[in-house]
Amino acid sequence: MDVFESLGKIFNVSLIYATFRASTPIIYAALCAAVTQQANILNVGTEGIMLVGAFTAVAVSFLTGSWILGVLAAMCGGAVIATIMAIGHIKYNSEICAIGMGINLFAIAITKFLLQVIFNTSGSFSDPGIDPIPTVHFAFLENIPVLNGLLNDWAFTEWFVIVFIIILQFLFYKTVWGLRLRAVGQFPMAAQTAGINVNAIKYQAILISGLVGGLAGAHLSLGYSTQFVENMTNNRGFMGVAAMYFGGANPALTAVGCLLFGFSDSVGARLQAYGFPAQFVLMMPYLVTIVVLAVSMAIKVAASKKKESSLITG
Amino acid sequence: MSEYVVEMKDIVKDFGEVHAVKDGQFTLKKGEIHSLIGENGAGKSTMMKLLYGMYPITAGEIYINGEHMTKLDPKIAINHGIGMVHQEFMLVNELTVLENVILGFEPVKGMTIDFDKARKDIQHYIDRYNMEIQLDKKVSQISVGEAQRVEIIKTLMRGAEIIILDEPTAVLTPQETGKLFEILFNLKAEGKSLVFISHKLNEVMTISDRISVMRQGTYMGTVNKEETSPLDLTKKMIGREVFLNIEKDYSKAGEKILEVKDVWIPSQKESSKIRGMSLYVRAGEIVGIAGIDGNGQSELIEAITGLRRVEKGSVILNGKDITNKTPRRIRETGLAHIPEDRNTRGLNRTMSIEDNLVAVELDKKPFTSGIFMNVSEQDKYADHMVKEFDIRPADYKLPTSSLSGGNAQKVVVAREVSMNKPLLVASQPTRGVDIGAIESIRNTLEKAKKSGAGVLLVSAELEEIISLSDRIIVIHEGKITGEMPAGEANENNLGLLMMGADDQVETDKEGEKCHE
Repeated sequence: MDVFESLGKIFNVSLIYATFRASTPIIYAALCAAVTQQANILNVGTEGIMLVGAFTAVAVSFLTGSWILGVLAAMCGGAVIATIMAIGHIKYNSEICAIGMGINLFAIAITKFLLQVIFNTSGSFSDPGIDPIPTVHFAFLENIPVLNGLLNDWAFTEWFVIVFIIILQFLFYKTVWGLRLRAVGQFPMAAQTAGINVNAIKYQAILISGLVGGLAGAHLSLGYSTQFVENMTNNRGFMGVAAMYFGGANPALTAVGCLLFGFSDSVGARLQAYGFPAQFVLMMPYLVTIVVLAVSMAIKVAASKKKESSLITG
Repeated sequence: MSEYVVEMKDIVKDFGEVHAVKDGQFTLKKGEIHSLIGENGAGKSTMMKLLYGMYPITAGEIYINGEHMTKLDPKIAINHGIGMVHQEFMLVNELTVLENVILGFEPVKGMTIDFDKARKDIQHYIDRYNMEIQLDKKVSQISVGEAQRVEIIKTLMRGAEIIILDEPTAVLTPQETGKLFEILFNLKAEGKSLVFISHKLNEVMTISDRISVMRQGTYMGTVNKEETSPLDLTKKMIGREVFLNIEKDYSKAGEKILEVKDVWIPSQKESSKIRGMSLYVRAGEIVGIAGIDGNGQSELIEAITGLRRVEKGSVILNGKDITNKTPRRIRETGLAHIPEDRNTRGLNRTMSIEDNLVAVELDKKPFTSGIFMNVSEQDKYADHMVKEFDIRPADYKLPTSSLSGGNAQKVVVAREVSMNKPLLVASQPTRGVDIGAIESIRNTLEKAKKSGAGVLLVSAELEEIISLSDRIIVIHEGKITGEMPAGEANENNLGLLMMGADDQVETDKEGEKCHE
């Protein structure tokens, strides 16, 4: 009796929005990784790009009082960081994983440093002067009980992520740039002989990835919350990379992977309220990351084995 | 205005220390088919890649339609009407044929690619040259011959007036080659100028108007087809006469060394899957496997040598079941293996000649004592091997990356053959090596056979299969389509079997004339 009541409180309609809300920052991060992955570049620096974006967004929003400027500045900040990676990887031929990890460590340090220098504080910075990303309120939904709770008062960037997935899907699979990007990722020599400037496409991919990563950070610090906390990305960038793998760099499938993380995150938060050990709850997203990656790899291996088999005809 | 559409003068191209082209000269007239011939590594492909702008030239001058090209990259070359069909196809496997053809020159409608227009444009060329192409298949699903037609369409779609074909027949059966030549003659009739790179003299004599020869990066001269002969060309290519025909002695084949019994082997490509194949190799014979690349040869060899899983059936070596055993166990049971790709499986290119020579036996005496390597013994052995197999340079401490293709391959052959194992598996042993090395490698295989080893030979060169083998097995799409003594084989009957004809009835007339 008690159990059912509790389960009802955990798995109810509001879990849908909670899941989506928890997923959105990861979706942006995953899309950041997906853009470079299409060019066969593993963006390990997603976490760092996102963190720099989060800080820039808060700082600019606070200093100018405009969330739009905050978001735009965050995107530029992400692009700057990504450009460092691009130059290191493409021009100086350095290993992308090494440079990506370097970027992640650098991001933690530089944001901590700037937090100290600009705001004279450490740990976190929140202030009523920070202009958050506005929420979207539909007046006509106010009187509809379920839908009101479900769809009203989303942050603007939460609505936008849906549009954004569609935009990227279109960009990758319907446009000239997308075709070239995929060709560069799968067989750069073929792209080169077709007269495509392979390095230019790679630069563009990393740069766009930086813009998206900056946006991911801005959403985290101005939409998901209204503050900056040291290392506030809390591995969302890596989860994004994992989800990107799960979805094979396809934006829509990647987003599905992210929802899985968001779901485990929000269920975990609710379980905690019912006496589940906090350590277990905190472990959930990481556990899910491992399980999701393991399962998706196992499925891929099984599928390719089946496809390669000589025993099966068809 | 010059009479040539292309002129390349005094070309030099260095890759670091390697002088790929020392003195390159080339001219192309409008509407001619001009063959560029030479041994592997003579610099012919490099010359044409320079023309296509894939690498910058070190020195020299390139003129296209009389215009001096000071800067050249593929995009500029394409815009000047040059198209190139590369030896290794430049097609993205996971994209469709249609996407591949338009890549880089996509027609657009608004923000999206205009696939309908692309389809119509391509159909125009398909009809005009009567080529069979399936536009909506992924490249990974089409045949080699079709992929080549896709490459030709690609150049035409980009408005190429000058088309370079780099060893286009290397991957084709004689019959497919005939089809390709028809297309090339049609293109010539339409006024296109073609460059045909090859080392197959009979093809060159069929198709060319003029022929240019290169040797070791140097231009050796140009002749009209009517004024030359294959013998004359060979002398120009190599600088001496070469006898690749080997004295064959096939009398004392002994017991079965290798038995492959109804094996089923997986593969990424449908046409390379092996679905039930049986064969055997006896001591003292060379069994040649003929087939177009990608019809299961690599899979079969990998399964025998333990590099690929066998799903059903068994492999017996020296009376012992070695199915799905590790490569090491199989080698210890009695196998030596010259792998298909010396760069990834045959050699560690960053390590020295010596290290590579002792690699397989490194853990045995006299190369080790206890847990230490016995370097002086290794030196002695390497010194001996370098001399016996004429590996150049003879400094065995040099990394194998500094060797030419032929000498690198000699290192692999030396290591494997000198182990004197009962079975020698040789996969494409002479691919990408110069004629001198081909001669020496073929003699080595023949010697291994005479000393009693069974040899399983896979080669894409029909001429090599015919001249070396005692028995020939032809495979097509993972099935054996024919087996015959080498004496009965010729390019025609093998070619038909390679295309999947399951009987040799139609070829008998031709076949009889060519008996040795």
